Amino acid sequence: MTGSGKKQICASDCKFETLSISGMIRIARQTLTASPLKLTGWTLLFFFLLMALLAPFIAPWDPRETGIPYLPPSSDHLLGTNDIGQDILSELIFASRVSLTIGLLAGIVSILIGVVVGLLAGYYRGWIEELLLAVEDMVLLIPGLPLMIILAAYLSPSMWNIILVVGLLWWCSTARVVHSRVLQLREMPFVEAARSLGCSDGYIILRHILVNTKEIVYAKFALAVASAMLTEASLSFLGLGDPLNISWGEMIHFAFSRGGFANDMWWWYLPPGLMVCLSVMGFVLISMEPKRSGKMLEL
Amino acid sequence: MGKLIRYGFTLFLVLSLNFALPRMMPGDPVVNLLGDEALHNDPKMRAELRAEFGLDKPLHIQYVDYLKSLFRLDLGYSIHKSQSVRDLMAYRLFWTMMLVFPSIIVGAVLALLLGSWAGFSSGSRSDLFLTGLALFLYTCPPFLLAMVLVSVFSFHLGLFPLGNLTSGGKTGVEYIVDVTWHLFLPVVTLSLLGASYEFLVVRNSTVQLLEEQFVLAAMAKGLRERDILLRHVIRNVLPPFISMVALSFGFMVSGALIVEIVFSLNGMGTLVYDAVVARDYPVMQGCFLVLTVSVLVANLVADILYGIADPRIGGASSGGL
Repeated sequence: MTGSGKKQICASDCKFETLSISGMIRIARQTLTASPLKLTGWTLLFFFLLMALLAPFIAPWDPRETGIPYLPPSSDHLLGTNDIGQDILSELIFASRVSLTIGLLAGIVSILIGVVVGLLAGYYRGWIEELLLAVEDMVLLIPGLPLMIILAAYLSPSMWNIILVVGLLWWCSTARVVHSRVLQLREMPFVEAARSLGCSDGYIILRHILVNTKEIVYAKFALAVASAMLTEASLSFLGLGDPLNISWGEMIHFAFSRGGFANDMWWWYLPPGLMVCLSVMGFVLISMEPKRSGKMLEL
Repeated sequence: MGKLIRYGFTLFLVLSLNFALPRMMPGDPVVNLLGDEALHNDPKMRAELRAEFGLDKPLHIQYVDYLKSLFRLDLGYSIHKSQSVRDLMAYRLFWTMMLVFPSIIVGAVLALLLGSWAGFSSGSRSDLFLTGLALFLYTCPPFLLAMVLVSVFSFHLGLFPLGNLTSGGKTGVEYIVDVTWHLFLPVVTLSLLGASYEFLVVRNSTVQLLEEQFVLAAMAKGLRERDILLRHVIRNVLPPFISMVALSFGFMVSGALIVEIVFSLNGMGTLVYDAVVARDYPVMQGCFLVLTVSVLVANLVADILYGIADPRIGGASSGGL
């Protein structure tokens, strides 16, 4: 982080980035070929994105339509049917929309809070830093799941409340990493130069510091989405999910509480579980550093 | 000292949050404090209950009363289960800790040994396998891993019991063996979940350490790889690793709640699950309070022990890896 990081920062700050499509394709190709892990991650996510977008076209049945319950897998229902006779495969495909939306939005909430806290604490130092770090420490000390359970239980069970609850409690690691990066950046010559030219704090933070934390922020965003999806799955598994928007975690909740698990109907609970695994894996993989494959970003 | 203040303040925050939630959140505080069952009562009875529980008094007096009742270890009463919340939790907390502590230790040892080994031989086939496995476990939701293990080892192979803590009717050594047999799979599940994250961190810091000069010097001296790993590398991974393990207590408690539900162990997790299903708010709040306070205490103890073990970091805030 120290020596090479310095060089990297100067280089990216001096160079004016030209945003042309061909340039972006070239950069994308370079990073992807440099790191097969990233390529795998993007492929997985692309697959899930397609699944979510095209859900109405690829789902063989209407997921709300009821029929004969507890059917084992057959050519008609590839993954069988659930306790009220809905096609599990179609439910699975439509659930991708809910799970991904919750993950992405909760990730955005947590990254916004984390970046703002990290920037303010790192740039202004002094009592603001003390205060924000103290708040961060306290949030880190309180175990996440019990607090989320109690918050989610008091709020009405809806997707938006889950997004809020998960997002509000997952920003600490982002704040920490952004904070330490900003501490390095604020002492750099180009920031000092900007300051001596009379640039305002807001301008320096937005145009010079934020820009240079973007790689960390991208990586942390992917990880925040991954954590948010896992947390959402746990909350939904406990029965705190949105009954109108069934997510993968909630499918497992129903499989567990309505006899799917006790009767060894693996086709009911295993596929949604694997979907959570694979999509989380996708987000974790794209956050990995392309160079120096020996090291991975701090999770 | 600064740490102690921080812990004290966090405790205050948790207590206040626990006080404020039922009164602030949407819905009738009577319902929030007594559980959904109270909803069926007529308005007159509700008003009586409100007076009985002091909900008509000013907030600051309610707060003082609340702290007083906590001091008497009075955590409220569950109408749903017709039992006081404290009695409901008495044994369950013990069993949850019986699940959490062994898992933390087993997971930490696994992560430290395998992680430093994988980092030491980074790029090798065993490293790829272990890292891939850890990554997969890391992305695996806790209940899924638990369900798969139960399904494979209990349903199909019949090696372990399907749930519960004991088969009952046993004493002495036999009882301990029986409990160990029942707790084996849950502990394995939870330790794997805890180890996966710690493994990745240990592996990465080992890879970083290998670039340091002292490792080069040790290699140049002609030390055997095993000695370099055990004497030089692990020793440097250890201090930040210990503080990470201590901080993982909260994560492990969260995981234990989920794992217990799948294994139907009679711990805090199943209590929370039943309470969530029945919207039994007093029980949920009691669990939240007890779990959070025990995590705080565990972290505080770990912090103090760590300060004694490594005087260098004493009062300074310890940075993670």
